[in-house]
Amino acid sequence: MMRNKNIKSTVAIVAMLLIFVSCKKDFLELTPRGTTLEDNFYKNETEMMQGVISVYDVMQWGTTGGYTMKMPLLSAASDDCWAGGSSASDQPNWVAYDNFNMSSFVGPQGGLWNKNFSGINRANLILSKIEKSTVLSAGFKSRAVAEAKFLRAYFYFDLVRWFGNVPLILKELTPSELYTQTQSTPAQVYAQIEKDLRDALTGLPPVVSAAEKGRISLGAAKAQLAKVLLFQNDNTKLAEAATLFEDINRVGNPYGYSLVTDYAEIFNPSNKFNSESILEIPHSNNAAWGDWGWINGGEGNVGTQFIGMDSYVGDTYSSGWGFCPVTLDLVNALKNDPRFAATIIDGKALKATGATYNARYQNTDYFIKKYAPLKAYRSTIGTPEQNWPINEIEIRLADTYLMQAEALLRSGGSATRAKELLDAVRARVGLASIPATLDNIYAERRLELATEGHRFFDLVRTGKAVAVLGPLGYKAGKSEYLPIPQTEIDVTKGVIKQNPGY
Amino acid sequence: QEIDVSGRVTAKSDGSPLPGVSVVIQGAKTGVATNADGRFSIRVPKTGTVLVFSQIGLANQTFTVNNNQPINIQMVDEVGALSEIVVVGYGTQKKSVVTGAISQVKASDLENMPVTRIEQSLQGRTSGLTITTGSGQPGDGATLRVRGTTSINNSEVLYIVDGVQVGGGIDYLNQADIESIEVLKDAASAAIYGARAANGVIIVSTKKGSRNGKMNVNYHTYLGTQAPVRKLELLNATQFATLYNEAEYARTPNLVTPRFPNPSQYGVGTDWQAAVFNDNAKVQNHELSIAGGNEKSTYYSSFGYFDQDGIVATSNSQYKRFTARFNSEHQITKGIKFGQNIGYTRTNSIGVGTNTEYGSPLGRAINMDPITPLIETNPAKYNAPPYSNQPVVRNSQGLPYGISEGIAQSEILNPIAALAVAQGRGWSDKVVGNAFVEVELIKGLKIRSQGGVDLAFWGGEGFTPIHYLSPTFSTTVNTYSRNSNRGLFWSLENTISYQKSIQNHNFTALIGYSAQKNKGELHSGSLQGLPVDNLKDASLGFSVPKENRDFGGGEYLNTLNSAFARLTYDFNEKYLFTGIIRRDGSSRFGSNNKYGIFPSGSAGWVVTKEGFFPQNNIVNFLKIRGSYGITGNDQIGDFRYISTVSGGRNYTLGTSAGLNIGVSPDALSNPDLQWEETSSADIGLDATLFSNISLTANWYNKKTTGMLLQIAVPGYVGNNGPIGNIADLTNKGFELELGYNKKLGDFSFRVAANGSFVKNNIVFLGAEKEFLEGQKITPQGLEVTRTKLGYPIGSFFGYRNEGLFQNQTDINNYKNAAGSLLQPNAKPGDIRFADINNDGKIDADDREVIGNPTPDFTYGITFNAAYKGFDMVVLGQGVSGNQIFNALRRFDLPASNYTTDILSRWTGEGTSNTMPRLTLDDSNNNYSRSSSLFLEDGAYFRIKTLQVGYTLPNTLTKKAGINKIRFYLMANNLVTFTKYKGYDPEIGGGSYGIDRGFYPQARTFYAGLNVGF
Repeated sequence: MMRNKNIKSTVAIVAMLLIFVSCKKDFLELTPRGTTLEDNFYKNETEMMQGVISVYDVMQWGTTGGYTMKMPLLSAASDDCWAGGSSASDQPNWVAYDNFNMSSFVGPQGGLWNKNFSGINRANLILSKIEKSTVLSAGFKSRAVAEAKFLRAYFYFDLVRWFGNVPLILKELTPSELYTQTQSTPAQVYAQIEKDLRDALTGLPPVVSAAEKGRISLGAAKAQLAKVLLFQNDNTKLAEAATLFEDINRVGNPYGYSLVTDYAEIFNPSNKFNSESILEIPHSNNAAWGDWGWINGGEGNVGTQFIGMDSYVGDTYSSGWGFCPVTLDLVNALKNDPRFAATIIDGKALKATGATYNARYQNTDYFIKKYAPLKAYRSTIGTPEQNWPINEIEIRLADTYLMQAEALLRSGGSATRAKELLDAVRARVGLASIPATLDNIYAERRLELATEGHRFFDLVRTGKAVAVLGPLGYKAGKSEYLPIPQTEIDVTKGVIKQNPGY
Repeated sequence: QEIDVSGRVTAKSDGSPLPGVSVVIQGAKTGVATNADGRFSIRVPKTGTVLVFSQIGLANQTFTVNNNQPINIQMVDEVGALSEIVVVGYGTQKKSVVTGAISQVKASDLENMPVTRIEQSLQGRTSGLTITTGSGQPGDGATLRVRGTTSINNSEVLYIVDGVQVGGGIDYLNQADIESIEVLKDAASAAIYGARAANGVIIVSTKKGSRNGKMNVNYHTYLGTQAPVRKLELLNATQFATLYNEAEYARTPNLVTPRFPNPSQYGVGTDWQAAVFNDNAKVQNHELSIAGGNEKSTYYSSFGYFDQDGIVATSNSQYKRFTARFNSEHQITKGIKFGQNIGYTRTNSIGVGTNTEYGSPLGRAINMDPITPLIETNPAKYNAPPYSNQPVVRNSQGLPYGISEGIAQSEILNPIAALAVAQGRGWSDKVVGNAFVEVELIKGLKIRSQGGVDLAFWGGEGFTPIHYLSPTFSTTVNTYSRNSNRGLFWSLENTISYQKSIQNHNFTALIGYSAQKNKGELHSGSLQGLPVDNLKDASLGFSVPKENRDFGGGEYLNTLNSAFARLTYDFNEKYLFTGIIRRDGSSRFGSNNKYGIFPSGSAGWVVTKEGFFPQNNIVNFLKIRGSYGITGNDQIGDFRYISTVSGGRNYTLGTSAGLNIGVSPDALSNPDLQWEETSSADIGLDATLFSNISLTANWYNKKTTGMLLQIAVPGYVGNNGPIGNIADLTNKGFELELGYNKKLGDFSFRVAANGSFVKNNIVFLGAEKEFLEGQKITPQGLEVTRTKLGYPIGSFFGYRNEGLFQNQTDINNYKNAAGSLLQPNAKPGDIRFADINNDGKIDADDREVIGNPTPDFTYGITFNAAYKGFDMVVLGQGVSGNQIFNALRRFDLPASNYTTDILSRWTGEGTSNTMPRLTLDDSNNNYSRSSSLFLEDGAYFRIKTLQVGYTLPNTLTKKAGINKIRFYLMANNLVTFTKYKGYDPEIGGGSYGIDRGFYPQARTFYAGLNVGF
C-alpha cells in the first residue's frame, strides 16, 4: 500500500511540472518562418536591392482593380482606338473611359489610383530603410535613392495627370495619419515631382549595363524631367525642357540614343532596349505565371493578350480578346503613311489569306500591331495569356525629338533646330520635310506614336481634347481628370474630395 | 448481532465487474463502494438488513441479508433516456442533471448503418445541427453548422476524438469504431473548450474492450450499387437547333438563313448526361474488430476497408480508405489507470470539379450542345481538321472524341474527352492517438494527464498530356505536378477533479491546463515537357530544362494555451448549477491581446422532484434549465498582427530577361488584434411523458462580436489594411426533440423526431459599412449573394422580377416620373424589373435581398422496429424555408443547352409570365442579371435510409460456434420530395445554395452481413 501511494504522488508531481513548463511565455510568442518580418529585413545591400525591385515591380502592373494597362487603355480613351471586347458590358470601365461617361464607381480610376499609390508606398518605405541603414556603400545608397525618387516621381506624374488633386505622401504614414491626408494642388504635386527628378539626376548612371537593362538611367531621368516640365504648360519652364531634351537628342549624346533605321524594328520583341528606347518597361515569362486572381504577380504583358484578335486562327499572330480595335479615323490618317504597316494590323487582308477571327464589339477589322500577340512569342509555360514577353516603351527618342521641337517653338527657341528634329523623325520613314509648326508637330506625334498611349494626354495638354474627343463624350472641365474612386471619399469620410463634374 | 457480508457486483449485460457501485444500508447513512474488481465488504447490524446498490446510469437494486454467504449482484441499465450518461467536456454526466444543451447519438443508433463519412450519420438525428454535403462525390466533405453560422470568417465545429482536438474533419474514422457522438450546442456545455467552441463542439468516443474475459470478434461487410436519382430533361439536338434559330431570329429580325437551316437532320443527338453518369457505381466496405480483456486490462482493435466509385465521371471520381485502430485501458494499481487510443487511416482519392461553371464534367454535360457526337465516327469528318491536324483525344479504338463545330464556347467541352485529359490522384496518411494517466490520490480526487497527437501526411499528383479539346483548350506541352505535405498537431492536458457528496449535496470541481501546437510543412513541384504521355509514367525525376521546372512550399505554425475550471453543484438532483471559466491564449494575436477570458454559467430545476409536484402518470419527469456563456474564435491566418514582407514582387532586368526578386511588406499590422467572441444564451426543458415519450426543447440566442475582417484604409496608403475586430452577427432559434417507445408483445418500435428553427442576422459590419460582397458566378462576375446588414449571411441578392412584358403597350406604360421608359431596350417577352429605389432608372441600386440559401427549419424523423429476428430502420430528413439559385445553365454562353423548361418560354402575348423569350443578345439582361428568375424553392424531404435486417436465432448460430449472424438489405436516398428541378436540392460546400451542376448524392442499394464470433 505504501508503494502505491508513492506512485500516485510521483505521477501527480510530474503532471504539475508539465503545467509549469508549458506556462512559459515563449510558448505563445512565435516567429514566422517562410515569411520575413519587416523589422528585421533590409539588413544588407542584397536585401535592400530586393526592396528597390519591389518598387520597380509596380511599373509592370496592368491588372490592379481590373485591367488598367496604360497603352491600350489610353488608346481607347483617345481617338486612336475603341474599347472593343465582346460587348459594351465587357470591361465596363474601359467602355466608360472610351465614352467619357465615367462615374465615381465606374471607370478605370480605382485600379490606377491604387497601383500608383502602391508604388509610392514602396518607394517611401525603401527611402526610409536606406536612410536608416548604416551598412550601405555610398555608391549603392546614391543609386538606390535616385531610383526610388525617380520611381516616386514617375508614379506621381501618372497620378497628377489622371486625377489632378492628389495627396502628397512622402513618407510612411503613422496609424493616426492614415485617414487624414488631404489633397495637394497639381502645382504642388508637380513641384515635388520636379524635386524628386532633380535629386535623382545625381545618382544615376548614364548607361545601364546589358544585364541591368530596365533600371533607370540618367538619360531616362532627364527625359522624364523634361517631359514633366513640358506637361505643366508653363512657358517659363520650356527653355529648360528644351535644354534637357537637347542633351538626350543630340547626335553623339552620352547615353547611346539614336533613331532606329527601320521603324518596325523598334517594336520587334527580339530588339528590346534598342538604341531608340529611353524608358522601357520589361516583360517576360519568367515565373511563368498562372494565377488569374493576381495577374500582377507575373512578369507578362496582359495588354498584348487584350488587343489580339479574338479567336484568331492563322499565321503570325496568336489569339487575343479583341479589345482596342483601331478607329477608322486613325486608319485613314495612317493609310498613306509608311508607318501604317508597322502600326496597324489589317484584319481584312488577313482574312483574305484565309485567317479567321471573331468580329467583336466596335470592330473595325483593324488592330494594334506594335505590341500584338505574336505566335512566335507565345509562352509555352504557365498560362500563355498572362506571360507575353512584349515590353512597353514609355519614352523613346522620336518622342523626345518631337517634344523638344515643341518646347523650342513654344519658348521662342531655335526654329531651325525644331525643324531638324521634326525632319529627322519624318526622314527616318522616308517622308519629306514640312514646316516645323506646332500643329505639324502635334499631327506628327499622332502618326509616329500612335497606340503607344500618348495621344490622350497630348490632346488634353494642348487643349484639343474638346474638339477631337467632344463628339465621343469628352466634356471640358470634367473629362481631363478621372473621378476620384468613391471608396476613397467614403473611407476618409469626405477628407478626399471628388473631382468636379462627377 | 452484527454480520460481515461481502460480495461482487457485475453488469448483467456483459458480466464485467462494476467498480464504484455504492452499497448502502437502507435507511442509514453508512455505506461502502465496490472496488476495481467490483467486490465489496460491509458490516450490517443484523440479518434482514436491506442493502441498496446504486450507480449512475444503473437501476438501483436491493438485497436482504440472510446470512454471511457471498452476495452476487447483477445490475442492469436504468430504463429510460434520462438514465443515460452523456459525455460532457472533460467528463460525463447523468443526462437528468445536465444543465446545458446536448444531443447524443449512440453506437446502437449507428450500428449497421453504412455511411461514407461519420458526419452523415448525424444528419437528421439531432436538432440544432445542420449538415449539408459538399457534394455527392466520393471523399468529399460536409458542411456542419451548430445553431446557424456563427462567424463570417469560420463557422466550423470543433471535433474532439477521445479527448484530442482533431483538425481536418473526422472522415478518417471508421464508423464501426464509434461508441458515441455528442453535440454540445450552447455555451454552458461548450465553453469548457473555450477557443473555437463558439461554433459548437462534437465529441466522439471510440469503443473499448470489455472486462468479462471474453474475446469478441465481429466482421461486418456490405456491397452496394449507386445510381443518380434523376437526370435533367435537356433539349435534344433537333430541339436545340430549332431554339437556337429562334434566338438568332429574335436578335436579327430580318435574318435570311439561320445557323441551323434544317434542324430535323440532327435527330436526337448526344445524351451527354448518359455519357457522364454511371448508373451502376460500386461501393464496398469491410470491417473487422477484435475486443476483449479482463479485470485489469481491456483492448479493442479493428481494421476497415472502404471503396466507393462516383456516379459522375467514375473514371475520375473514386475514394478508397483503409483504417486500423488499437485502444486499450489498464488498471495499473487500485488508484492508477493508464490508457491509450491510436488510429491510422490511409485514403486514396481521385476527384473532379463540382458545382462550378468552370469546366466540371456535370456542368459540361448540361451545357454541351447535343449536336456534337460523343465520338466522331464519320470518316469525312475525322479525316479533316481539326481531327486530322491537332492532337485530339481518342478512345481505345483510336477514334476521336467529338469536337463542337463552332457551337460550344469557352469551358463547354466534350466532358468525356476532358476527363481523359485530367489525370490526377490524391492521398493521405493520418495517425490520431492519445495516452492518458489517471491517478486517484484520495477518494474523489483525481489527477489526469493526457497527451494527444494528430500526425498527417497528404499529397497529390496530376498530369496534363498534350491535347486539343477546342481552339481555346489545348496545349502543346505536357505538365506534371506533385505536392507532399506534413502536419503535426499535439496537445497536452492536465486536469484535477474532485467529487464530493454530503448527504444530498453533490459537488464536482475541475481545474485544468491545456497546451496545443499546430505546425505543418508544404512542398510542391511541377515539370513541363516530360517524355511521357500518361500519369503512371510521369515522375519528378525526369531531367527537363530549368525554365520548365517550378518548385514551391510553405509552412504554418500556431499555438494555444489555456487554463480552465468548472464547478457543478446539485441538491438531491433537483436544483442544478454549473459554472465554468476559461482563459485562452493564442499566438495569432498581438502581445496586448493574446488572452481571452470566457466565462459561462448554467442552472437547472427538476420540477418533478419537488414535493409539491403531484405524482401522476402523465408527466414523469420535468426539468427546466438555462445557460449563458462566452466563447472565442481565433481562426484567422497566422501572424496577422505583425508586418511581414514577402516576395513575388519581381521585375525583369537585362537584355536576356533575367528575373530579379522583389520584396515588400504584405499589409499594415494591427497589434490590437484580439479574439472574436460569441455569447450564447439558452433556455431549455427536458421531460418524460406517459412513461414512454421523451421531449427536449431549447430556445437560444447567439451573438458573435468583433468578427475579424480586413480594415479598409484609403487607397493612397498604398498597401492593404490589417485585420481588425469589426463585425457582429446573431443567431436565434428553437429546437425540439421527441421520442416514443412502445412494445407490443414481440413487436417493439421507437419513433424519434427532431426539428430546428434558426434565424441568422448581420447586425454590424463596421462604421458605415452596409454589406460584404458575396458569391460571384460566371466569368463576368455576376454577384449573386451578399452579406447585408439586417439579413442572414450570404443572402441571395438581385433584382426583383415582376413578370414579363406581354406587349409593347406594357413596355410603353412602364415609365418613370419624368416620362421616360424605364426599360427602353425591352421587347415583349422580356422581364420587367422593379425600380425599387424609385430613382427613375433600373440599375445596380435596384437590387435587394431576394432569398436565403439557409433553411429556416430543419427536421428529421427516425423509425425503428423489431419483431423477433427482424429489424427495420427508416430515417427521413428535410429542410424548408430556403431557396436555391439555379445556375445550371451557362447563360453567359448563348450556345449552351437548356432543359426542356425552356419550352415554356414566352412565344407570344399571354403564353408565359415567368419564362422570358429567347434571344441571342439578351439586350434586356433577362439572363445576365441576378434575379428571382433563378430562385427556386429549396425545401425537400428525403428518405435517407431504409433498412431491413434479420438476425439468425441463437439456437442455430450457437451450434456453429458463432455468436451472431445478421444480414440486411438497405437503400439510401430512396426518395426525395422536392419542387427543385436540379439534380439534388441539398447543396453545400463552398457555394452554399448555388447550383452550378452540383455533384448529386447517389441512390444506393446495399446488401450487408454482420458476423460475431
